[in-house]
Amino acid sequence: MIPDRLRHTGPGALALTGFLTMAAGPALAGDVIWARYGDIDSLDPHRATSTLSMQVWDQIYDTLLAFDEDGAAVPNLAKSWEVSDDGLSYTFMLQDGVICHDGTPFGAEDVKFTVDRAFGDNPSLTMTNWGPIETVEVIDDLTVRITLESTFGAFLPFLADSFSSMVCLSNDDDPDFGSATAIGTGPFKLDNWVQGDEVVLSRNDDYRNFGKPVENDGPVQFDRLIVRTIPEAQTRLAALRTGEAHIAEPPFDDIPDIRAEGDLDIVVAEKTGQNVFWQFTISRPPFDDIRARQAVAHATDPEMAIDIIYGGLSEREWCPIARGVFGNDQDFCQQYGYEYDPDRARELLAEIGFGPDNPLNTTMYVWTGGNRHMLAEIFQAQLAQVGINVSIEILDIGTMNARVREQNESPDDPSPGTFDMMTWGWYDPDILYALWHSPGAYSGYTSDELDAKLELTRELTDEDERLEAVQDVIRYLMENAVHIGLYTPGWEWVFAVRPEIEGFKVGVFLHPMFQDVRLTD
Amino acid sequence: MTTETIEAPARPERPQRAYAALFRSPSGAVGLVIVAVLVVCAILAPYIAPHDPLVMAAGPRLEPPSLAHWMGTDQFGRDVLSRIIYGSRLTLMIGTIAVGISLSAGLLLGLVAGYASGWTERVLMRIVDVLFSFTEIVIALACIAILGVGLVNAMIAIGIASIPFYARVTHSIVLVEKNKPYFESAVAAGASHARLIFLHLLPNVIPTLIVIGTLGVSTAVLAAAGLSFLGLGAQPPQPEWGFMLSSSRDLISRAPWMMIFPGLAIAITVLGFNLLGDGVREVLDPRQRAR
Amino acid sequence: MLRFIAQRLVAALITIWVATIAVTLLIHLVPGDPVRIMYSGFQTTPEQIEEIRTRLGLDQPVWRQYLMYMGRVLQGDLGHSIVGDQPVLTTLLQRFPATLLLTIASLFIAVVVGGSLGFFAAYRRGTVWDFGAMTLAIVGVSMPHFWLGLILLFIFSLSLGWLPVGGSGFMNLILPAMTLGLANAAILARLTRSAMIDIFDQDFVRTAQAKGLPQTLVLYRHALRSGLVPIVAMLGLQFAYLMGGAIVVENVFAWNGVGRLAIQAVFARDYPLIQGFILFFATVVALASVIIDVTYALLDPRIRYGK
Repeated sequence: MIPDRLRHTGPGALALTGFLTMAAGPALAGDVIWARYGDIDSLDPHRATSTLSMQVWDQIYDTLLAFDEDGAAVPNLAKSWEVSDDGLSYTFMLQDGVICHDGTPFGAEDVKFTVDRAFGDNPSLTMTNWGPIETVEVIDDLTVRITLESTFGAFLPFLADSFSSMVCLSNDDDPDFGSATAIGTGPFKLDNWVQGDEVVLSRNDDYRNFGKPVENDGPVQFDRLIVRTIPEAQTRLAALRTGEAHIAEPPFDDIPDIRAEGDLDIVVAEKTGQNVFWQFTISRPPFDDIRARQAVAHATDPEMAIDIIYGGLSEREWCPIARGVFGNDQDFCQQYGYEYDPDRARELLAEIGFGPDNPLNTTMYVWTGGNRHMLAEIFQAQLAQVGINVSIEILDIGTMNARVREQNESPDDPSPGTFDMMTWGWYDPDILYALWHSPGAYSGYTSDELDAKLELTRELTDEDERLEAVQDVIRYLMENAVHIGLYTPGWEWVFAVRPEIEGFKVGVFLHPMFQDVRLTD
Repeated sequence: MTTETIEAPARPERPQRAYAALFRSPSGAVGLVIVAVLVVCAILAPYIAPHDPLVMAAGPRLEPPSLAHWMGTDQFGRDVLSRIIYGSRLTLMIGTIAVGISLSAGLLLGLVAGYASGWTERVLMRIVDVLFSFTEIVIALACIAILGVGLVNAMIAIGIASIPFYARVTHSIVLVEKNKPYFESAVAAGASHARLIFLHLLPNVIPTLIVIGTLGVSTAVLAAAGLSFLGLGAQPPQPEWGFMLSSSRDLISRAPWMMIFPGLAIAITVLGFNLLGDGVREVLDPRQRAR
Repeated sequence: MLRFIAQRLVAALITIWVATIAVTLLIHLVPGDPVRIMYSGFQTTPEQIEEIRTRLGLDQPVWRQYLMYMGRVLQGDLGHSIVGDQPVLTTLLQRFPATLLLTIASLFIAVVVGGSLGFFAAYRRGTVWDFGAMTLAIVGVSMPHFWLGLILLFIFSLSLGWLPVGGSGFMNLILPAMTLGLANAAILARLTRSAMIDIFDQDFVRTAQAKGLPQTLVLYRHALRSGLVPIVAMLGLQFAYLMGGAIVVENVFAWNGVGRLAIQAVFARDYPLIQGFILFFATVVALASVIIDVTYALLDPRIRYGK
């Protein structure tokens, strides 16, 4: 990095550089700078749901279990566990000698603190996903027992996910926890977070890896990880080219050129578990009517849109859960899917009183990044052809989550109901329970029938039975046009990496790992 | 304007002569030509644009400028030239509506404050001064925070943000006019408030406001383009120039033409109104011509 | 002189005071329930919404809310942001040095480039040089600065790889400062030219010329010093302009100042942060204008004592 700068600056400028960077908090030789399109929403794993937040929690915290290269949950902070015969009680044996960033030993009390906190007065946003937890008991310093009210097939995988990050007890009663402080057991300690600008993390020398699929199980091999927010894709590219950033998502349309030039490595995340889908404000017209929802589905052609924007590198997704996730079956889902059929869309619209003289006006929410705004513009043009006038609002994911829920909770709002291109990444079909079991993550569509079907997917532990239950839910969601799959982004998560960085990898379900990263310059 | 206003004192030049003078001023003439071309583009857009500005895949996507697409195509294969031609409609609308809002409100405030004098004047002008010192962009941001994003809201925000400026200008002219003999004699002759304001003050304020308003169109166009560039103004698929620039940002290396042409369009338009404003000033204020 | 400074300070305090009223009212002008708009994404129950409303004092009459707000502001508490739950004042102060650095660097570029261009044009008044300089200036005034920024970014960062962006070091400052500085240099060039022409027309310059003093001496000793006065007078407004312009330019170059923060806050409808930003911005601009006005008064004896 330094030699790179020298090349571009005269000696006078260099002296000035030294002076000014000191004031602004300089990047150091042992720093790895990771530029991303957006910032975290919170340092508290119970207070945000965005992938961008999750990817930073991964660096600060650790989880009881971890995903291996194939996405199976394997021992991590919990070195082993026992499940009672009735499937309701899980006893976890913890690794000895794990130390929290403040120097306190990590043990059963920390696990209990984390779980209790997730169900506390200000519960975790993903509380539902923890499952029907009844009690958490500390058996001894390194043994903890979690008891469930009913069997829960997706419990163990959840404990490998970042939403179950283990928060150390020392954070208790710290009013700044989540905004200015965060104590975990992960590979990095938090130095500071300047909102909208950067999160500065420094190496945790006590870190040990137990379950993550990396080669280096000790502390990371560089000093600091600086996670910087640069929303503009071209600015990120410029930052990469000039050495201001080491790892960044490049602009999609430049990827072929970057590959051709060969200066930067391209790392594509695989098995992201992400599913991009339509969902609707069902509490008021027009989308309280199933035909309006079906009209949108028939009027849009995701195949063409992803082909234009991602050059065919993302896949059409018929299911409400991503490829690689239990229960995903394209042939099964397609039977209930909505083929591109503008005429059918017009018919449906005519049935509910919309037509050329009375267009359906509505708003589509899209979240920032990943060229989704371009997809939205194509969908907007497609919808216009059947007489649906859409205005697009591009929001960051946190704001969009808020807005969607606010829409569903405003049945008396005189303006037309909205719909949105939502994205969720999950390792298990249990995401459907979180989204659609009443009251629902967005206070959206719910029904007693759907609730019963969803409950079944949790209680059944036999694989074949569960598959049937899951597909029953999928069929229901699609027939009622509640959750309409569009595509599985793989290509949306692309990282360009400077040559002096070696060993950067992105695990399944979008967990970036820095344990093997080495700075070779 | 009523016919009576033409008889008002200190009227600079008759309109026909003013236009003739405008053509004698080289910058005014250039400005007038640019603005005229813009107006023609806006009116005749459907006839002169080679493609529909909203239709995707009018050509291959991200095609460099060619005979078929003089300014290339964008990420959806839309014709950039056609979008720029249609964009002139939005630009003219933004300019006139934003200036309309700030000019009328500023004129009213300035007239009332200047005419009323005393406490009314002090309080009004104090508020105007304070708002003025907030700077226009911050007032515009505050308005958008309240109203929400969108082109119409951006126009309103820009209109409101410039009110203090127009109020100040009006106020200062009124103060000068109030001390002139013709006004004092009109007051002495017992003219009504309405007559004093509308027959005596207003006609003398208007020439300067025409200059300021013409220059103001360029400021408003720039400001609206800026807000759209930040994503606070125009929304897709509107072919607004600032928004086009904003969507070109992800593609600068791959498709620089998407960035160059909308920027040129904004710059030329703003230049046109600036030159026209300068020209009108020269016509209305002959002393400046010596410079 | 002290009285003059006092008067200017009072005027600045009035501006800041009006700003506090404006930001208190802002949240009430938002259509809908601000608490629900801000917090609905946080899986909040209706009881929690009411609790937040009480905590923010939004269940109180407006005048009491204002008093509560003022009470907190006087203790340096501008509330907490919705996104990230961070203290607003701390966040603004963390980001402000970047904006100040950018503003001052651009002001410097604007004054040097614009001032010399204007001075040169006035000196060579009526010649092709004057015409050229003024054409350049009007083109500069008409050019959207974010466009200029994109062009510079394209050339110097993306194509040539000479100047970095997206960081916080000195090299990162060059492009944004050039963009903002050159855009405002055009305005200053025009203002300087007309100010200098007024001075060249004044008697003392003509006298000096008549006395046969060498040209350069006349220019520097007499004209330039007097010419500084109106230029300094413009700087207050220029500073405010540049602070405003920084909001856009910061977003072009990922220069992480308060302007970028403000835009993020508007998108996220983070009202405490928006309120804090407006109040902060008004305060900075008001104080800067006091400093500049006082400098102006020191330079030009004619306006001393608050005449």
